Amino acid sequence: MDIILGIRVQDATIIATSKAATRGISILKDTDDKTRELNAHNLIAYTGEAGDTVQFAEYVQANIQLYSMRENDIELSPLATASFVRNQLATSIRSRKPYQVNCLIAGYDTKKDQPTLNWIDYLGTQVELPYGAHGYAGFYTTSLLDKHYRKDMVVDDGLKLLKLCLKELETRMPIDFKGVYVKVVDKDGIRSVELD
Amino acid sequence: MSGYDSALSIFSPDGHVFQVEYASEAVKRGTCAVGVKGKSTVVLGCEKRTTLKLQDPRITPSKICKVDNHILLAFAGLNADARILVDKARVEAQSYRLTLEDAVSIEYLTKYVAGVQQKYTQSGGVRPFGIATLIAGFDKNDTVPRLYQTEPSGVYNAWKAHAIGRSSKTVKEFLEKHYQEDLSEEETIKLTVKSLLEVVQTGAKNIEVSVLRPGNAIQNLDVDEIKKYVDEIEAEKEAEAEKKKPKKD
Amino acid sequence: MSRRYDSRTTIFSPEGRLYQVEYAQEAISMAGTAIGILSSEGVVLACEKKVTSKLLDNDGSAEKLYIINDNMICAVAGMTADASILVNNARINAQSYLKTYNEQIPCEILIKRVCDVKQGYTQHGGLRPFGVSFLYAGYDDRYQFQLFTSNPSGNYSGWKATSIGANNSAAQTLLKKDYKDDLTLKEACELAIKVLSKTMDASNINSEKLEFATLSLSKVEEGKVIHKIWNDTDVNALIQDSGVLNDKSTEDD
Repeated sequence: MDIILGIRVQDATIIATSKAATRGISILKDTDDKTRELNAHNLIAYTGEAGDTVQFAEYVQANIQLYSMRENDIELSPLATASFVRNQLATSIRSRKPYQVNCLIAGYDTKKDQPTLNWIDYLGTQVELPYGAHGYAGFYTTSLLDKHYRKDMVVDDGLKLLKLCLKELETRMPIDFKGVYVKVVDKDGIRSVELD
Repeated sequence: MSGYDSALSIFSPDGHVFQVEYASEAVKRGTCAVGVKGKSTVVLGCEKRTTLKLQDPRITPSKICKVDNHILLAFAGLNADARILVDKARVEAQSYRLTLEDAVSIEYLTKYVAGVQQKYTQSGGVRPFGIATLIAGFDKNDTVPRLYQTEPSGVYNAWKAHAIGRSSKTVKEFLEKHYQEDLSEEETIKLTVKSLLEVVQTGAKNIEVSVLRPGNAIQNLDVDEIKKYVDEIEAEKEAEAEKKKPKKD
Repeated sequence: MSRRYDSRTTIFSPEGRLYQVEYAQEAISMAGTAIGILSSEGVVLACEKKVTSKLLDNDGSAEKLYIINDNMICAVAGMTADASILVNNARINAQSYLKTYNEQIPCEILIKRVCDVKQGYTQHGGLRPFGVSFLYAGYDDRYQFQLFTSNPSGNYSGWKATSIGANNSAAQTLLKKDYKDDLTLKEACELAIKVLSKTMDASNINSEKLEFATLSLSKVEEGKVIHKIWNDTDVNALIQDSGVLNDKSTEDD
């Protein structure tokens, strides 16, 4: 019942991930960060089978980092990063023991000056979206996002919309997900944001 | 005439492994690289071949390579060999992060690079790597500068200041004479440039310098900055020559 | 003296040299010349065809020019059989990058990968090095148009204009004299013809002794790269345009 949610606005992409780490009916901790920084302008947020998720995210992170090292700090673009992740999952689903990981990749393309949000599931489906979520979060928030999302929104508008979504989630979700970590990816890189 | 050097790497009766010794000759044919440790910095400097008029200045592979966010490696010897070895080091640095959730220490990486080089002196059907490397950086959450050197044989050592490649003997002698403990950043860069000028006659355009500070702060100096140091050094040399003159008269 | 170090695979000589690699380079310096010139509008590759027989059935494919992917072409000097192995390798690498990242492979990455293969053959047992040098012309969004060479040692370098194969130093001198940073593609083509006409032994050049290719951007579709291996008629027309024939005939008179 992890929540991961992403909203792309004009100048950035916002990612929110729930802080609760759950196993069965128990909450194991309330400070779980379900994201990894792949490079300066790409952030992966993940949900899925415990264990698989972190293993996969860190494996991808190491590979993207290796690319930056080899290319003397030239970064992989958000599209290339997302394609790489998709390719890994598509290979994995055809192996004996596939990764059960769904993810969102928030990126900022510094060449084209535009933010991106890529939605990828464990089957290797990849789509570029203005907003997206995996799991239960999607059921409760898609309608809100459909109604309130505007193309000309900026970060602050995006955060407001996110707050609206969180309020809905807090009302509807059957368990306490212990709040969310919010991260913003823009031209300056990745930063954490405190919601008030 | 013995033929002990034609089989790839085996001992001769008097205990030499010729291929390894010859690989060191390849290192001496490469351009010079210098590393100097200061109080809280390490500086790597390299002799850079002149870019020809028709060469594309955008694409000149540097001899100082980033292995990880906190480690630089400078090499002397065969370029193509270095590319392979550096790549192995980069993969190891990331793989180490993945398994141990930590950045590699400079010593570990040096040991790894030296280990790979050693393997190529003892395995069947391969020749040794024709390169020596200088590996520099700071360990995670640490302010102690580190500088290591590896050789084709697989030997590695820690140094306060060291040089490899063409005319490295001259540079090493220079460093031995002029090195002081606890140099400031400025002084460390200056000593590096000064020692390189012992073998590089053509000044700033044939030198590249990288400065490492604690906390992943790596800076590659541009030509103008290097030129500032070169000019300063040359002015000092002139002043010294001036001082000596009247005595002769 | 050096025989002891070249009878086997590539190993170091006492001076720290790799004779096998140097010999391979030697062999290439006798192969047909290939010239590459970079301009802001595109890149031109031109090579000299060494063996020409009237009986050779020309199926339209070039002998020394290869298309690697949508963004890159290359010219070869040296052993063509070795080259085709590496070209095949390059093509596979280019497609595998495209498959993984959904982006065209940046030129330097591809060249680095091919050069890593070349390097391997100078270090691992029982093999001889590849006897080929390449000229690569490419386009990517890092540096736009680019021109590279690579040689049997596994080294590569980027150039504005360069040549490989026979008479390459003479060609280089001519290029150095006549190259300007603001060449148009047309001017680059003519310069290539001019240099080749001077470095080739043949008295007058024509499409039978030349292979010609250009890389440029499409005027219709943004970011689309066009590679063109020229047919005989176009090559002859270019030779005519460049005026080298006129110079020659007046000299002959």
